[in-house]
Amino acid sequence: MIEYDTDEQRMVLKFVYYGPALSGKTTNLLRLHDLLSKEGRGELMVLDTQDDRTIFFDLLPFFLVAPSGLKIKVKVYTVPGQVQHDATRKAVLQRADGVAFIADSRRSEAKNNAESFGNLERNLSIVGIDVDRLPLVIQYNKRDLPDITPEEEIRRVWGPTGFPVLLSSALKGWGVVETFRALAERAYDTLDRRYGFAGTHGLTRESFAERLVRRAG
Amino acid sequence: MPTDSEGRRRIVYCVGEERALRDVLPGFEVAAMLAAAFRAGLRGVRVVDPDGKDLWGSGDDVPPPGERDPRRPILLEGEPAGAVVLPDGAARGETQDALLALLADTLTAMAHNNLKRMLTTETHTEVVNRSYEELLETNRSLSASEQRYRELAETLEIKVRERTEELSRAMARLVQQEKMASVGQLAAGVAHEINNPLAFVTSNLRTLKKYTERFLDMIARYHRVCEQGGVAQQDRDDLRKHRESLRVDAMAADTADLLQQTMEGTERVRKIVADLKGFSHVDEDGEAPADLNREIERTLSVMTHEIPAGAGITREFSPLPVVTCRPGAFNQLFLSLLRNAFQARQDELRVTIRTGLSGDRIRVVFADNGPGVPAGLRTRIFEPFFTTRDVGKGKGLGLAVAYDIVTSHGGTIDVEDTPGGGATFVLELPVQRGAHDPIR
Repeated sequence: MIEYDTDEQRMVLKFVYYGPALSGKTTNLLRLHDLLSKEGRGELMVLDTQDDRTIFFDLLPFFLVAPSGLKIKVKVYTVPGQVQHDATRKAVLQRADGVAFIADSRRSEAKNNAESFGNLERNLSIVGIDVDRLPLVIQYNKRDLPDITPEEEIRRVWGPTGFPVLLSSALKGWGVVETFRALAERAYDTLDRRYGFAGTHGLTRESFAERLVRRAG
Repeated sequence: MPTDSEGRRRIVYCVGEERALRDVLPGFEVAAMLAAAFRAGLRGVRVVDPDGKDLWGSGDDVPPPGERDPRRPILLEGEPAGAVVLPDGAARGETQDALLALLADTLTAMAHNNLKRMLTTETHTEVVNRSYEELLETNRSLSASEQRYRELAETLEIKVRERTEELSRAMARLVQQEKMASVGQLAAGVAHEINNPLAFVTSNLRTLKKYTERFLDMIARYHRVCEQGGVAQQDRDDLRKHRESLRVDAMAADTADLLQQTMEGTERVRKIVADLKGFSHVDEDGEAPADLNREIERTLSVMTHEIPAGAGITREFSPLPVVTCRPGAFNQLFLSLLRNAFQARQDELRVTIRTGLSGDRIRVVFADNGPGVPAGLRTRIFEPFFTTRDVGKGKGLGLAVAYDIVTSHGGTIDVEDTPGGGATFVLELPVQRGAHDPIR
């Protein structure tokens, strides 16, 4: 959590889109920006890039107000996927409330996915986040491409971990909102336990997720 | 601000900290914008924070903005972070509305771009700082490991030297043991081969002595009969002549001595063979109780021919408790030390062998009056293959093996000066060996 100001009735949350280089993290945010209603979200801030590759991070903020009056801002960030930007990844991961791990479905990328996930686990422990308690969802992106890891294999590998696994094609625009929603729901469960979203603020899981993923008209 | 273990400030940068308008818009940039807006016709325009509090004004003396005054929000990360307000009393109209909207959008764009620049700079700085700290850390750990390896390398040399010495000593011991084993086997074989003929030689000699006595007795009787006229005069003269030419009387007188000396000789051979067997201890396998005084005597007896003529050997033995050891090995040890002593000088050699108890340790001293051992060589003489003799005269194994035998028995060996000149080797051996001293 970035900030929780009880006097101001204001809470700032952080979601992070993690994953190997070129797996489609920025594309996910671009699609969310396109697909979701202008009401309730800000503009996508894309920091300087190099050859169209993220070297810092991107930010897409969302806003909602709980029935109690609590103003919730959800800042969704991407990390740079390239190995050399590890320090930036740590800074972005700091105080995250939820992580969507964006994997590249192509068979050739299996090793990069595994290395990036290992890097995520390592960095989580460095910034002091317990990977077993962190709301985490897995997205297998680029399902529109040939020669991809079949779904059964993905389910078999990730099934035992209990993390929700979603399939998507960020480029074509499907599976992206579902991933965001799954992440919001997972994060809600954790936040509700700690801050009484339902009890104190009258904010149900359903309405939290609904307000974040309102489709553009 | 968190610090690292050495008290330096450590930047823990978290992307996403919330910022107010004042954080991203410098006053002078806003002032310039407001001045331009003022000139364009927005007299009295002001910038307020989300709570309506005044942040910046265009310098006009106008009343503070009210809630109903026309305003346009300035957005930061999509949220209203403040607003531009046209207070009561300022000129208003369509132009002013349009200008106000333009001013708000411009300040929003400025805030957006400034924020981007700040985030970029902060992240960059964080990465540089972190990389620098990591480099420092890497440098520290590399220096530490270099130091460690340097120490390791230094001690390694010492270790290698020690191990090499140990190995050389072990090898020397093996060589010597092998040699002694073959000597022992040879001795045992020779002893066996000699013992058999020696037995019948001794036995036959005894019989021969008996027969000879009878022959002589018989000859004496013949002689008496002859002399008393038992034969013709002519025969008697002939017998006397023959007897004299054969020197039978002298022979008869010598025979007993000859036989006695021969039998003493065979007895000596028997004793030498027995000593040789005892010295090599070929009959004993491993440890046995031994009286070191007796072992020293044994060693001396097989070295008789090595003792230079005219040498004086003094034994100052005190009774010693029986110790369990490998007597064969100890005889080797005494042999090495005595051989060194016997070779210390040619003339007027004096060797003193002293044994005794010192507390719970047996002390054995071999002192000679030779040239002694120079102080600089005292640590080296126990090294394997170290010798001061000419090539081919000594292998440099004797003292190394001696050292090994003594230390493997839990004892010590040292060399000192003999008062008045010479070398004194001092052995100290525990009467009871501790459990931590395994038998080698």
